[in-house]
Amino acid sequence: MAEISETIPQFMSFNFEQMAASKQALRRRLTALPIAEKLRLLDGLRERALVIRGASDQQRIKAQEQSPDYGKK
Amino acid sequence: MKIEEVIRTVNQMKADGIITNYAIGGAVGATFYLEPVSTLDVDIFIEVQAEAGSSIISLDSIFSYLRERGCTMEGEHVVMSGWPVQFLPPTGPLIEEALGSAVEVDVEGMPARVFTAEHLAAIALQTGRAKDKARLLQFIEARALDLSSFEAIVAKHGLAQQWQRFQKQFLSS
Repeated sequence: MAEISETIPQFMSFNFEQMAASKQALRRRLTALPIAEKLRLLDGLRERALVIRGASDQQRIKAQEQSPDYGKK
Repeated sequence: MKIEEVIRTVNQMKADGIITNYAIGGAVGATFYLEPVSTLDVDIFIEVQAEAGSSIISLDSIFSYLRERGCTMEGEHVVMSGWPVQFLPPTGPLIEEALGSAVEVDVEGMPARVFTAEHLAAIALQTGRAKDKARLLQFIEARALDLSSFEAIVAKHGLAQQWQRFQKQFLSS
């Protein structure tokens, strides 16, 4: 365990309350960004999602979500 | 691959009279109020007029307009600026109301019409997939909703039971 601890950088913390608070703060910062910037982030997130899916150029376009049944309930 | 270009094209469709009105919904719509969450497509809800002498709404004019501008069709989506876009006419009273109540947001000088946060949340409650529930939870946690307005929409559209179940499942501690 001591050996593992030595490999963890000093700035890392396992204080879960602190981690949750930090995550919340990040989400608030992202929410507060100008809308144009958030839309650009969506562009980037989609690009990344497609890369992760390992899709070829042809398959990229086909990576779509299943549509919900809007108004059918 | 740019959502801004999709919005610009849809604004042009409105200016050219191809659609009477539109509003952005789904995950892209939610991004106007919340932190961005990865999504693969764009949901654009549209108002279109039925052709003269017919009560049937046809999306043919939309598709041919977009084909002429280099967009391609992929199943139920139109690929615009690299994004699969779904054009959705209203399928029920909640969506009709959401379209009528949508708000215009300025995106670096370009107008974008978006569902209100309360309508997006009510639609998420109605559609009820796991990701929709997660989105509704996001709206609540981010305090992005006017709760009295949201609950009025929920009551008006017969979603009170779903809302009660949701609260019991996710909000009671």
